[in-house]
Amino acid sequence: MMKWVLFTPELYYLLMAGVFFWCSIQRHLNVRRLYVWAVVLSGVGLVVAVAAARCEGTLFFDSYRVDLFSQVFKIFLALGMFWVVVVCSELKGIDARRHAEFFFLLAVCTVAMMMLVSAVELLTIYIALELSSYSLYLLVPMRRRADEFVETGVKYFMIGSTASAFMIFGFSYLFGITGTTYVAEIMARLPGLFHEPAAVIGLVLALGGFFFKQALFPFHMWAPDVYQGAANQVTTYIATTSKIAAAAMVIRFIGFAGEGTEAFVMLLMVLSVVSMTFGNLVAIIQKDVKRLLAYSSIAHAGYMLVGILSMTPRGYASAVYYALAYLIMNFACFMVILKVADDGHNLQIKELAGLHKRSPLLAMTLMLGLFGLAGIPPTVGFTGKFFVFAAALEKGYLLLVIIAMINATISLYYYLIVIKAAYLLEPVREYGPVRVDRWTRSLSIVLVILMIYVGIFPDKFVLLAEAAAAALR
Amino acid sequence: MTPMEPAQFPILSTILLSTLLALLVILFIPEHRTRLIKQVSLGFSAVGLMLCIALYFAYDTEKGGLQFVERVLWVKSLGIYYFNAVDGINLPMLVLTSVVLFTGVLTMWELEKRVKEYFALTFLLVAGVYGVFMSMDLFFIFVWYDVSLFPMYPLIAIWGGTRKEYGAMKLTLYLLAGSALILPGILYLWVLGGAGTFDLFELQRIGFTVEAQRIAFVLLYLGFGILAGVWPFHTWSPVGHVAAPTAVSMIHAGVLMKLGAYGILRVGMTLCPEGLVYWADLMALLATIGIVYGAFVGLAQTDLKYVIGYSSVSHMGIVGLGLATMTVDGINGAVFQMFSHGIMTALLFSAVGYIYDRTHTKMIPELGGLSKTMPVASAFFIIAAFCGIGVPCLASFWAELLVFISAVKTYPVRGVFAVMGLVVSALFMLRVVQKTFYGEKNERWEHIPDVPLFLASPRIILVGILVFFGLFPRLILDVIQSAVVPFVNSL
Repeated sequence: MMKWVLFTPELYYLLMAGVFFWCSIQRHLNVRRLYVWAVVLSGVGLVVAVAAARCEGTLFFDSYRVDLFSQVFKIFLALGMFWVVVVCSELKGIDARRHAEFFFLLAVCTVAMMMLVSAVELLTIYIALELSSYSLYLLVPMRRRADEFVETGVKYFMIGSTASAFMIFGFSYLFGITGTTYVAEIMARLPGLFHEPAAVIGLVLALGGFFFKQALFPFHMWAPDVYQGAANQVTTYIATTSKIAAAAMVIRFIGFAGEGTEAFVMLLMVLSVVSMTFGNLVAIIQKDVKRLLAYSSIAHAGYMLVGILSMTPRGYASAVYYALAYLIMNFACFMVILKVADDGHNLQIKELAGLHKRSPLLAMTLMLGLFGLAGIPPTVGFTGKFFVFAAALEKGYLLLVIIAMINATISLYYYLIVIKAAYLLEPVREYGPVRVDRWTRSLSIVLVILMIYVGIFPDKFVLLAEAAAAALR
Repeated sequence: MTPMEPAQFPILSTILLSTLLALLVILFIPEHRTRLIKQVSLGFSAVGLMLCIALYFAYDTEKGGLQFVERVLWVKSLGIYYFNAVDGINLPMLVLTSVVLFTGVLTMWELEKRVKEYFALTFLLVAGVYGVFMSMDLFFIFVWYDVSLFPMYPLIAIWGGTRKEYGAMKLTLYLLAGSALILPGILYLWVLGGAGTFDLFELQRIGFTVEAQRIAFVLLYLGFGILAGVWPFHTWSPVGHVAAPTAVSMIHAGVLMKLGAYGILRVGMTLCPEGLVYWADLMALLATIGIVYGAFVGLAQTDLKYVIGYSSVSHMGIVGLGLATMTVDGINGAVFQMFSHGIMTALLFSAVGYIYDRTHTKMIPELGGLSKTMPVASAFFIIAAFCGIGVPCLASFWAELLVFISAVKTYPVRGVFAVMGLVVSALFMLRVVQKTFYGEKNERWEHIPDVPLFLASPRIILVGILVFFGLFPRLILDVIQSAVVPFVNSL
């Protein structure tokens, strides 16, 4: 007998997608009412995800695992979707007649990612990943004046499908050498098979697919262009929610690997170092805020990997905590971009000039978000980095941590440039006041409190992350 | 091990809270009510000052050890405690901080630009400083350390003077590069401790292998040393001092640089005594170079603030040299020097601040003969300069004496060079005094009034402290010694 109750959050979001689909085929659509519905539905979705937190069990012939790890990430995903929907009150980057489709694709993508964090079997992973990717492929070129950005959509689709192709190629190797598609069994058998090139190639290619989603070097090429080319709301979703799902997938996959072998850890270390360094160095020269954050996200994928590659329960827990921190901080930054560029254009750093006068609240949210990303205490970003580095040092990776910390210092430079624009620069021309509606105002305050509170009082969240990581085994 | 009785009244947390509360209250005052903001700032900084003075009198020098202990479990899984306490080393630092904050607020009384943000950031910075000085848990030391660093960026970049954006960025990046070394160092010790605790004294009891101590000490020494202005990592410091507004320079050179030296002593030397023994030679060498180099470069400067900036490098070298001797006298002198240099530099910057506010220049050739037009304002600078040279009856005299005596004993050659560096520094200070305050009078500054009593008050307080501890050095040395003697014995 199927335990459908385990599948509640996914079913709920599927239903939500259905509602928006029905809206999208309506002839006359009230955009305002649609927005309110979207907020309410995604808000309820968050409640459903939280309510399902304690569910445990397996579904679909054990290819689908519901445990605390997956449920925690489903809460993060629901939270991310809810926040993104809340800031969509003025969906100016996207044509009004496409709003319903926008919400529909958002819901579908969220379902797909929820499936992704629970999937423990190669084909299930593949299907979930493709479903989420295709929703994003459609979301990216949905921007108004799409012809300017259609290249972005095509590029994203091309690189994405190539990554998928390599991933399924890798899956076939893994299946061929281990004779199973269940990740747990594959990872249990792999260490003994690492002398065979096929095993290594298969694993690297498979992980490549996940790293692509996470925008880890060298699978990052799409990120800057897509961040820049997609509508601001879509970028927000990609930069926050989809990154969380990718991180979950990487944690789960590597989590099955047990202790891991030296060569495997070495490989991850190299990827992490290159990713951090490359992302940070290239971010320095960016003028476009979204592009800058894209490169910063490449660096952050590297930081997160520092925690994951220690392959200890504490390492995974630190990565889970880091994912939550990243969701909050990055969302805070994107929310400010959305509101400052409220006609939906791409925000340049210099356009932030004088933000502290135009909207003190948004300026503060942005500053805290950026300080968080740079890892300055007492924000949540610092505590996240601290846990990640502590986990890596427990395994004795002193040099790796020093490199990561130096990278954090480099990153501070470009975050400071953005903060400087918001707080110190006088605007060259008069920018209008930033309109901050009641929803955004409340959300800003919530984010500010969260960034400080979770950073200063991390104990409960760490315990949750540890419990989630413990469920991996 | 020292007794750890729970404190009756959490006086340390109250000191910390006084700054955080000030920050909160200022945030809720409307921007245009600048007078109220200043009064609130003065009030809260006075509360901190009172509490620190009370702490100083309540501290039992006979008993020594950790007193006023506050300990609360913070993050269970990593063994992080909110753990505050004072002993003879951090008590003078807390007093120093409260004095500099209080006089700094008074010094900035005439500020008109973005007053609310200025005082809010100042209190955030000082909260970090208090936090570092009172925490006995490595995690919290690091957190407060970073909290005290990043407000420097806006404080310099918004209110600063000469090349402010460059100075602010350079300073922030340098200091955070330092903290990028401290964090791995701390985590490294935490892992090696194996007891899952960041408690400084717990870790000290556990002890580490010689090799681990050597590695960790380098990380901690370099990390904290950047902030302490150790040569050759000092280049941010003159630039930052020059760019910063008066009170920020006071806090920065007066207090913040001490965080670095304090960190080396409290974290590096306490946890890695073997590492210290191994690296002490190099430490002494760098410190000596700093003393001599700072003095010679100071000799060539024409900007008053650069002169003070380089004198700081030189004087902080004395602290480093004192620590490197590993003797009771040397470390006593180093801690005393941290205190007296803090007060002295605050006075120097505060005196220059007044002159700059009135004349809009701090170039030595453009000034001249100031003692005739503004005798009181000039006197403050001259007294502080004398203190820097090590004139008897002023606090620095005792500190420098102690350090040099033990330095010459421990490192004869380097000690002699360091003493010679002091002679050069006397030369450059006297040169500045001669050219700026005596010599030919510049007619342009004829009309400038001397400093009014209210604005003179912060400077008077600072002079008073320098003279007081110059006359009665035992009053502070007894406190310092109560912690240094057991510390040196445990090395």
